[in-house]
Amino acid sequence: MTIDPVSLIDDRPDEGIFRVDRAIFRDADIFELEMRRLFEGGWVFLGLASQAPAPHDFFTATAGRVPVLVMRDGDGQLGAFVNSCPHKGAQVVQTRAGNARMHVCPYHSWSFDSAGRNRAIKWQRAGCYAQSFDRSDHGLARLPRFEEYRGFLFGSLVADVPSLAQHLGGAARFLDFVVGQPEEGIELVPGAVTFTYDANWKLQLENCSDAYHFTSTHPSYIRIMERRQKGEGAVGVRSIWEQSQAWREDAEGVQGGSYSFEHGHVLNWGRIGMGETHPLRESAEAITARHGEAGRDWIFNMRNLTIFPNLQIAENASSQLRVIQPLEPGRTLMRTWCIAPKGESAPARRRRIRQYEDFFNPSGMATPDDTVAYEGCQRGHAGRIDPWLQGYSRGMTASRQGGNALSDAIEASPLRNVLADSQLCDETLYHNYYREWARRLTAAVHE
Amino acid sequence: MTATLTRAEAEDLLYREAALLDEGAWDDWLALYTEDALFWMPAWRDELTPTADPDRELSLIYYEGRRGLEDRVIRARSGQSVASHPRPRSVHMISNVRLIECIANTAEIASNFTVSLHDIRAERTHDFFGRYRHTLRREAGAWRITRKYILLLNDTIPTVVDFYSI
Repeated sequence: MTIDPVSLIDDRPDEGIFRVDRAIFRDADIFELEMRRLFEGGWVFLGLASQAPAPHDFFTATAGRVPVLVMRDGDGQLGAFVNSCPHKGAQVVQTRAGNARMHVCPYHSWSFDSAGRNRAIKWQRAGCYAQSFDRSDHGLARLPRFEEYRGFLFGSLVADVPSLAQHLGGAARFLDFVVGQPEEGIELVPGAVTFTYDANWKLQLENCSDAYHFTSTHPSYIRIMERRQKGEGAVGVRSIWEQSQAWREDAEGVQGGSYSFEHGHVLNWGRIGMGETHPLRESAEAITARHGEAGRDWIFNMRNLTIFPNLQIAENASSQLRVIQPLEPGRTLMRTWCIAPKGESAPARRRRIRQYEDFFNPSGMATPDDTVAYEGCQRGHAGRIDPWLQGYSRGMTASRQGGNALSDAIEASPLRNVLADSQLCDETLYHNYYREWARRLTAAVHE
Repeated sequence: MTATLTRAEAEDLLYREAALLDEGAWDDWLALYTEDALFWMPAWRDELTPTADPDRELSLIYYEGRRGLEDRVIRARSGQSVASHPRPRSVHMISNVRLIECIANTAEIASNFTVSLHDIRAERTHDFFGRYRHTLRREAGAWRITRKYILLLNDTIPTVVDFYSI
């Protein structure tokens, strides 16, 4: 290791300084350390329990670079395994999802049941194995940690991590608002969308929490929304952004803000309200009954939640679940889904899907302007003259310790908060990412 | 009188659409579509099954009516979309054209496509490929597109896919 990660984060709160060295986005050693300490060395999001609802259902995922198989066994228990045969290492399951009692490795036919146990080694008796072989376990390697929080499945490739509840901490309160709209549970709308961009994964991490870019990066989308408000443009596609004041420069009063939680999780939010185009409007009463008025108001806010390091849930123009998969320092794979409450009416679901496609898809009218901007950043990150980036300074004098009245109302307990008007556009929430990043990358680990 | 369409005429129309997209002649491209045209590129439900119900499943692009395409053209030309400028160089190659049906002033055409793109800014070249289904309708003495279905086979999208790149 040639670079000390801590030297790349200039964190001097007493002086009002927080800067990040561009090297964190391009350096190969840093990337390797991120893989080992963050993605392969702690809790990562793997998927939703609703992706494997029935016995013997399975789906595949990745933890860092490691292929993972999540299966529900015959007793209904979910388990997570490395999707790699203990014999020669071949990937056992070839498909993204399915249902099977038995998985046969395509290379030498070792077989595993849906609980990951080895059920057959081809020609074992004729194999002249030593006794020590017969005594050892030939099942799929189980992830040392695998837990569920209200349908969200997380796993860790190392055992030495806090419980999932501890890991999520106060951010779990905001997962509650994702699942209870108003029924328990969410579902993935069929049709996953996958895209890559040629830039570092942390560009996506930051952009989800970036209130500052909207009117600069997406004016073409705003122009289309304005057209549609006038009754021009696409029929049947409306955006809840149309009703929002949060991004309008002349909006007054508190329009949003941010919360930072332990372990690097952040939420940024903005007021949207219960406009006629909101897919949840039909459920407003039921949502109030379940979550109270304060909870309902939160559910009708725009909320972008990051569960560090690889899960982002953006609930603004429709609802997106994103999984960030770093491939190289300058290349990232994004797996994205439209998420929706179970039991949603057909017209609301249709509205949700149309808004989603238009805004979130790499074939839509907003996301490509983000990802192309990331690629521009990545090229710019080659610069070594004045390497310190200045994009972590807005909100420095507005950031407060603990929560505020709005988080108190729902008994959320953030580490820090910012209340913002439409132009503040807090950047201090990124500090939370990089403090956790520095802590994890420098912590003594037994490897 | 009922008009019929030959495969040669169908090919002419598909090739013309391809040329207009590649040249950036998007007003002329829009004029090929009927007011009520459906433009649909599904996503994939699993490895081999595209999504089939746009009301309950996700599509990559779905617009009912040409106005949705007009939005896209406005955005691409706005000068306010970094993804849209500079526009990649592109060439559409269309082959295996088959006339599926031609009855009562409507016709359905199946074809295969490859679009090769060169993103000048990123110095990156990429192909999108898949299958088209065009439904044509005879209007005011001309054949126009009333439905375009684009089945994109390589749907791991390298950063951007837009109406002109499929």
